[in-house]
Amino acid sequence: MGEKLIVTPSPHIKSPRTVKGVMLGVVISLLPACVGAVVLFGMNALLILITSVVSAVVAEALWQRATKQEITVGDFSAVITGLLLAMTLPPGVPLYVPAVGSVFAIVIAKQIFGGLGSNFVNPALAGRAFVLAAWPMSVAGAWLNPLTHDAVSSPTPLAVLKGGGTNIPGLWDLLIGNRTGSLGETSIILLLLGGLFLLVTKIIDWRTPVGFLGTLFVGTWVFGKPGALFQGDGLSAILLGGAVLGAFFMATDYVTSPVTPKGRLIFGIGAGLVTLLIRLWGGYPEGVTYGILFMNLMTPIIDRFVVPKYYGYEHDARARKSAEGKR
Amino acid sequence: MKFISIMLGGILIQNFVFMQYLGLCPFLGLSEQMDTALGMSGAVIFVMTFASTVAAAFEQFILVPLHLEYMRTIAYILVIAGFVQLVEIFLKKTVPSLYKALGIYLPLITTNCAVLGVALLNARQSYGVLWGTVNGLAGALGWSVAIIIFAGIRERWKFMNIPGTLKGFPLALVATSLMALSFQGFSRLFASVLK
Amino acid sequence: MKRSLLHEFTKGFIEENATFRMVIGMCPTLAVTTSVKNGFWMGVAVIFVLTFSNVFVSLLRKMIPDQIRIPIFVILIATPVVIVELLMRAYLPAMYEILGVFVPLIVVNCIIIARAEAFAYKESVLRSFLDGLGIGAGFTCNLMIIGGIREFLGTGQIALGSFVFPSVKLFEPLVVMLTPPGGFMTLGLLMAILNIAVARSAQKKAH
Repeated sequence: MGEKLIVTPSPHIKSPRTVKGVMLGVVISLLPACVGAVVLFGMNALLILITSVVSAVVAEALWQRATKQEITVGDFSAVITGLLLAMTLPPGVPLYVPAVGSVFAIVIAKQIFGGLGSNFVNPALAGRAFVLAAWPMSVAGAWLNPLTHDAVSSPTPLAVLKGGGTNIPGLWDLLIGNRTGSLGETSIILLLLGGLFLLVTKIIDWRTPVGFLGTLFVGTWVFGKPGALFQGDGLSAILLGGAVLGAFFMATDYVTSPVTPKGRLIFGIGAGLVTLLIRLWGGYPEGVTYGILFMNLMTPIIDRFVVPKYYGYEHDARARKSAEGKR
Repeated sequence: MKFISIMLGGILIQNFVFMQYLGLCPFLGLSEQMDTALGMSGAVIFVMTFASTVAAAFEQFILVPLHLEYMRTIAYILVIAGFVQLVEIFLKKTVPSLYKALGIYLPLITTNCAVLGVALLNARQSYGVLWGTVNGLAGALGWSVAIIIFAGIRERWKFMNIPGTLKGFPLALVATSLMALSFQGFSRLFASVLK
Repeated sequence: MKRSLLHEFTKGFIEENATFRMVIGMCPTLAVTTSVKNGFWMGVAVIFVLTFSNVFVSLLRKMIPDQIRIPIFVILIATPVVIVELLMRAYLPAMYEILGVFVPLIVVNCIIIARAEAFAYKESVLRSFLDGLGIGAGFTCNLMIIGGIREFLGTGQIALGSFVFPSVKLFEPLVVMLTPPGGFMTLGLLMAILNIAVARSAQKKAH
């Protein structure tokens, strides 16, 4: 058995699953999209990915060495944080951004609180929020054209939508990634593949991504077009920005999301709502980061209200009701 | 519209704790248990809202006509301290159970810089009695949201292995930093609509 | 054993350091430390109010009835705060604008009430004066240190009047340090580092 990892309320069922196993599964599911990012954006993407992962792993190892703890980088959680953070960054970003971001994510958002299992915000997203606040021009602006790798100053499709324009790439381009965006925004097909893998191997619960993407789709469809209702482009909304990446890989992080199925659905919907709010009416073109971070903060409260009184309570309640009905 | 603007301002867009640095001492000190947080929130919402009313009325009907604005600080702190004292006496006589429930939280509010802070901010923005009260309510709600969220998070820390030297304030401050980062997403929300 | 008079002054810097040991007066500490200059002037204002209030509380301590001592303290504190406000408005209007609502908020700054209650109410005028001066000076140093860190990381340099250090850009400034998240983090990490240092030196002494 691997390390302690509290995933559900008791009773617990022993399974051959270990922390390392789950983490490896996540890494595998991310690999296709990473490869896609490198194909689209070349050396820039590769360097950002490598810098981010190496910084994360080294930061974790050094911290654990300095605090005289067992070094757990072998559990791949730092690798995942590094990969996820890199995926949220634009390809043209200077390398100190993923480096500092990763260190912040691992040390401040995770290790200071006691390491894996003790953080209350998603480390990768905390790292991204930090570097976005530290270097707003770089992190929100260093876009490159896919395949040609030249710098681009025109807004990304997401920014175009926010400005009220409609000139965005077609469905096929959105899916395969032939457009500007951050490393993890573009090759949606590959991300969905990874997400599917996670669902099939039951590493993640379908409720969170469905709640999140569903809310985003419906909300954008209803409110997306300024001045009119039910005319928004819901499909583009879920194919753009960090929505798919966030829905499958970040909102589903065990430690920072609720413990019960109902709670996870609430989390997904809540994150979708905040993302919607920010995308449509807020000060940033992309709201996924803050949507998920905000719901991270609400998770303890969600857990408080959603945890059943005892295992089987709901089943008993139903049995009681049907027994009364039969009388 | 102005009502929504002020309310959203105090709670999300310019949260009193995470964006305006107000009410930090009790926020850090009373957020370890959810019950404490809830209790203090109730007291803060009540006092901050109505203390704002009283202070704004004082400003409008006494300070301004007599051109005594420079006495604002002294006047406000006495008004607030007096108001809290009155509330304490009133509660003790009429609803002793509530008085007991609030315990020491009530007098503690006088030193919560958010209360005096919001009253002063109201004056600086010339809000008047009505909007001053709304702003007081908004700030109090923002403070309450912050401390309730934080208490939820802090209660979990009992189960975690935190290094000894980091326990308490250092960790609380770093956590507050992360919460503030998360709330940054709300900045400039509805900016085009509300201006 | 009465402490030496000098000690009454110096204790404000280390043993009874307001920010890091007593952990009070948090609001201004985080709000105004966006630069060394801001920290300095807020500190000066606090020194003035603290010494003034300590002296008068001590002077009048035999005459202040215990029951209503807190309201009396508040009046004795509010007076120098109003004086500071007027002086700043007149002679340092730019700084007054920057420090904003936190100048009048000095009146509810826990440090001042705490010192009045715990010290000035019981000690002689001279000691109270030194206590106020020392704690205030220590607090000012804290503000300047935190302000220095945030200013340096947040703007890439420290500006004191015409003196700007360093004159070349060493790194891309982290704007976040000037905002609340940066402030909370700076104070939290500083406190953590200091706690660790204190714990280590205590361990060494024990061996």
